[in-house]
Amino acid sequence: MRSFSEYNPIVTAIWFFCVTGIAMFCNYPVLMLISLAGAIVFFIMRNGLSHGKTHLFFWILFAVLALANPLVSHNGKTVLFVMNHNPVTLEATLYGLNSAVMIIGVLYWFRSFTQIMTSEKLLYITGALSPKLSLILSMALRYVPLFSRQSAKISSAQKAMGLFSDDNIIDDLKGKSRIFSIMVTWALENGIITADSMEARGYGTGRRSQMRRFGFRGADIALLIASLLLFGITAAAVGTDSLSFEFYPALNAGAPDTLGILGIISYGLLIILPMIIETEVNLRWKYLRSGI
Amino acid sequence: MEILAVRDLSFTYPQCSSAAVKNVSFTLERGDFAVLCGATGSGKSTFLRMLKRELTPLGEKKGSIIFCGTELSQLSDRKAASEVGFVMQNPEQQIVTDKVWHELAFGLENMGTPPDEISRRIAEMASYFGIGDWYDKDTAQLSGGQKQLLNLASVLVMQPKLLILDEPTAQLDPIAAADFISTVRRLADDFSITVIMAEHRLEEVVPICDRLLVMEQGQLIASAPPAEVIAALKSREDILCGMPAASRLYARLGIGGACPLTVREGRAFIENNYSNRSPQLQQDEYTHKSNAALEFGDVYFRYERSGRDILCGLSLRIYENELFCILGGNGSGKTTALSAAAGLLRAYSGRIKVFGKKLKDYRNRSLYKECLAMLPQDVQTVFLKSTVREDLKECGADLSVLPYDISHLLDKHPYDLSGGEQQLAALAKVLAAKPKLLLLDEPTKGLDAAAKQTMMTVLRGLKEKGVTVVIVTHDVEFAAACADRCAMFFGGRIASVGTPHEFFPQNSFYTTAVSRMTRGFYDGAVTLEDAAELCRINGRRE
Repeated sequence: MRSFSEYNPIVTAIWFFCVTGIAMFCNYPVLMLISLAGAIVFFIMRNGLSHGKTHLFFWILFAVLALANPLVSHNGKTVLFVMNHNPVTLEATLYGLNSAVMIIGVLYWFRSFTQIMTSEKLLYITGALSPKLSLILSMALRYVPLFSRQSAKISSAQKAMGLFSDDNIIDDLKGKSRIFSIMVTWALENGIITADSMEARGYGTGRRSQMRRFGFRGADIALLIASLLLFGITAAAVGTDSLSFEFYPALNAGAPDTLGILGIISYGLLIILPMIIETEVNLRWKYLRSGI
Repeated sequence: MEILAVRDLSFTYPQCSSAAVKNVSFTLERGDFAVLCGATGSGKSTFLRMLKRELTPLGEKKGSIIFCGTELSQLSDRKAASEVGFVMQNPEQQIVTDKVWHELAFGLENMGTPPDEISRRIAEMASYFGIGDWYDKDTAQLSGGQKQLLNLASVLVMQPKLLILDEPTAQLDPIAAADFISTVRRLADDFSITVIMAEHRLEEVVPICDRLLVMEQGQLIASAPPAEVIAALKSREDILCGMPAASRLYARLGIGGACPLTVREGRAFIENNYSNRSPQLQQDEYTHKSNAALEFGDVYFRYERSGRDILCGLSLRIYENELFCILGGNGSGKTTALSAAAGLLRAYSGRIKVFGKKLKDYRNRSLYKECLAMLPQDVQTVFLKSTVREDLKECGADLSVLPYDISHLLDKHPYDLSGGEQQLAALAKVLAAKPKLLLLDEPTKGLDAAAKQTMMTVLRGLKEKGVTVVIVTHDVEFAAACADRCAMFFGGRIASVGTPHEFFPQNSFYTTAVSRMTRGFYDGAVTLEDAAELCRINGRRE
């Protein structure tokens, strides 16, 4: 009984790339709407109604993106009205709307992706490619915040010693540049000790192995196969012009053939997969808990 | 079984005329717990690094190091890395990765251990050390003590036979340090791991070690059980100054017999040998000036809006020209109070006055000009240049008015100085602003006993010159010896305050070893001098 975020990171990552890949590389409106709706529902399922600021930001961006296209692009046959001697067309408006749906959908997906893919899971994925790369990433993940914490410490130490003699920007900048120069020294110095510590623990004595915190279970494989299969069908539908939609010069939606319909259904299923998993886990958990 | 045999080991750094380590010979049996002590610069670190092949410095080496019957240099790479474990001083810088579990796995990954075995060994080690609760955390979130335990655990997963520790507790507070030391002792007892540990903080570690090694100028001048070593070296005040209080009292009084090490033995030693006809020591009345240098009035502070109060109604007056020590446990808000007084943090309620003037009335950073200066806990953060000379020149420090001499340090890189030297150089830089109020955060952290003595003299010298000094410290012995008044910080406010002779005899845990040793027998003895004086006044028991 695992929720979607607890599946093997490789499988989760592949699922994400399938979903966002389709969303990014085609512009069939139905698929875009499915993607956006799925992305929002998925995000809310995971976070509830918090993250109001994220939602607000995305929808303002949505408005900007949707409005920008008709103001800039004047292609299309159907003129809605003329603004500053420039025609605003129905086609350009719809195109802008479609693009905005696509972009915001993808942004929602990535937002969920970064929540699910913790640094640890990213390391696991890179580790599968190369253990060395994974170690370097892990060290960098520790080092960057360490660097900024140390520079904040130095900054306040210097302040309390009167390094910044006056309260003005130029003086502040001078102080900051001096702090940066000592930070370079500090980083090198620190690096020597870390290197000693690595060598003392046998780094570089031969082939490294890697501890694995995530295994492949039956459910992981099932999810992987399902994702790839559904992705394949949708990709085939998109690739073979079974789903075609033209905005310019005039809207032209060819009726989707059987493959096209299958493609739409597959994409819908692909997006619903994690929600099914989550719902199933929730229901099962409620049932099990009632027995405690 | 003999784990380590060192014969006639000498080592000279390149371009140095004299050897850093001279003709050292000794052996360690399996499960021995040896403590190595000696002044800074006596060659302890060099010697310990020679025992760990990967860390051996470049230079000319003579003599042999036999590890489990094999010359150290003949061991295979992986065997040398895994069977000799090394823990260094700084908890932060030894950590390699960002997650606790990954740090534990790091050594085994290097050895190419199969993943399943890594998981098993880590699980075992994490439960032994009680790391389970923070196993999934980022290493950055851990406290100093936890980081050092993690360093120890991540060496131990490789199942070393010999564990070398180079001043592992220097950067820890006393409680974390005691915890760390008892863990190491337990390792030697439970798994018969051989331990050799260099230490400055000898009060806790000497009574529980099997062997005490003393180094002086590169030579090993003693290697025996601790009581014997101290009895043999009792005329050497300079070497004994970091030892347990009981043994120093024994050396000071010089009456012979077995050397006491713990507080309990020290108490028995006094009660058996001395009478207590006049248990009271005459104390001078303490007088202070009437003007406050630093004043907190009902100060509240928290870091986050929804967090808890770190300073919680703090009220305190520190008078001009006082040497004031603030003691207290970790997380009690001591450092926060100091930062608030230095204007680095803003209290959300209450008032802080420096020399009678509110902090916010010091405009345009005039607070830091000839008024207040603060030396942070991590003194490395004080330096900005590549030599001490440049650093001092930059802030316009005048070396001739310093109450101590650092001319021999001027051309070194600040990061290359020892802890004590760094502290003095940093203090010189802080004093350049000619502060009338000096705030020090843990000035004795990582210092050996001799450097602490120097620091004490320096601070007294500053007081003579009219400077008010406020010190936040964990170091009870230091506070007892140098403060005019001490205060105990607890729960974001002051719990008690008084002169050392009022303050420490009232406390039963947070007090000096001498106070614990003489409690109920003599009244109000706090420092070693008090106890020695009382013993002399009262005379030997008939």
